[in-house]
Amino acid sequence: MPRVSFKCAAVLLVASSITARAAELSDAQFKRLHTELQPGDSPWLTIPWKISVLNAQQSAAKEDKPIFIWAMDGHPLGCT
Amino acid sequence: MLKTRFIPVAIDQAYQRRQKDTEGEFYRKIASQGPRGNFNNTTQGFYIATASGKLLVYNNNRNPERVRRLMTEKLGEFSRLETSARRGKSIEATTVDKRFNPTPPEGGLVIRVRAKVLDGYEPTTDKWQRIFQTSMSRDNLWVSKTEHQSLVQGEFPDSLQQRIARYHLVDNTRGEPPFWNEKDVRSVQFSATSGRLKGEAHLETADHNRGYEAAFNGIVEIKNRKVVRFDAVVLGEFWGRGKYTGEPPKGRFPLAISFTLADGSDVADQIPPQASRGWVQGYIR
Repeated sequence: MPRVSFKCAAVLLVASSITARAAELSDAQFKRLHTELQPGDSPWLTIPWKISVLNAQQSAAKEDKPIFIWAMDGHPLGCT
Repeated sequence: MLKTRFIPVAIDQAYQRRQKDTEGEFYRKIASQGPRGNFNNTTQGFYIATASGKLLVYNNNRNPERVRRLMTEKLGEFSRLETSARRGKSIEATTVDKRFNPTPPEGGLVIRVRAKVLDGYEPTTDKWQRIFQTSMSRDNLWVSKTEHQSLVQGEFPDSLQQRIARYHLVDNTRGEPPFWNEKDVRSVQFSATSGRLKGEAHLETADHNRGYEAAFNGIVEIKNRKVVRFDAVVLGEFWGRGKYTGEPPKGRFPLAISFTLADGSDVADQIPPQASRGWVQGYIR
């Protein structure tokens, strides 16, 4: 019996600590963090990236410019 | 220089090196001239090439001075080429591999997702480490038409809760993250009542080496039976690492993830979610 009680107490303790951690997001925090997690005006965002190599080829042929391909594992504009 | 002297294109090469269509063929024509011509492996890096498909340089260096020097050199080389070698003819797409060209769900939503580690890193003087430590990730969440309509009715459908939990409550700030298995989702309870988004999530691997316990808070606005605002944040304690997300802070650390409705003004809004790569039907049913 004491072992069962101890386990129950431990489960309750873990559950309450999860709830306590998870509940810590006030409306004020939400607003502050949502603003903070916006991209701002980083210079790389001003680059007119295309997302199709073929589309870039067409523009390069038309404008007589070389193509710069940034090829990553995971999309550079949409992953990390 | 990139804006004015080049045509810049950003891709997830895992698509182009596999796709069986005109886009893939042109990419592989360029990449096969470099050192990464085995298309069963990554071909990541940067390439400078002509419209005719001639590779001028491949490099995978992230030092800005070195990249700038190479760009300047190759601009000179490009200008010295014969016109025919330089320009080439415009190539039209004659084939499109549907598997690698997914489009956002019709009648659904695209929501921008960004994550940031808020604290916990050891102080560093290494500039590269500092970049990773302060980086903010970006991905897109796709919401189906049916799920969109549920949100309009003040419901948060289970399918959307599970998709957010498994594929978007991840630490992708240092690289490609591992996603959560179905069994890793210990609990997720999101609601969308009276314009308020609320909830909690607990994710944890079976070996307990990686997890996230977090709260969800936000605002959803509906107009003319459409979601016109979806601003939300998930904040909680994350722990653990993935194969490509090494060197996280020790122990538990605060990870915040924001959600913002995309308005289609950014080319990046068209990019498929990372977790849907080659598996759209598994990501969104």
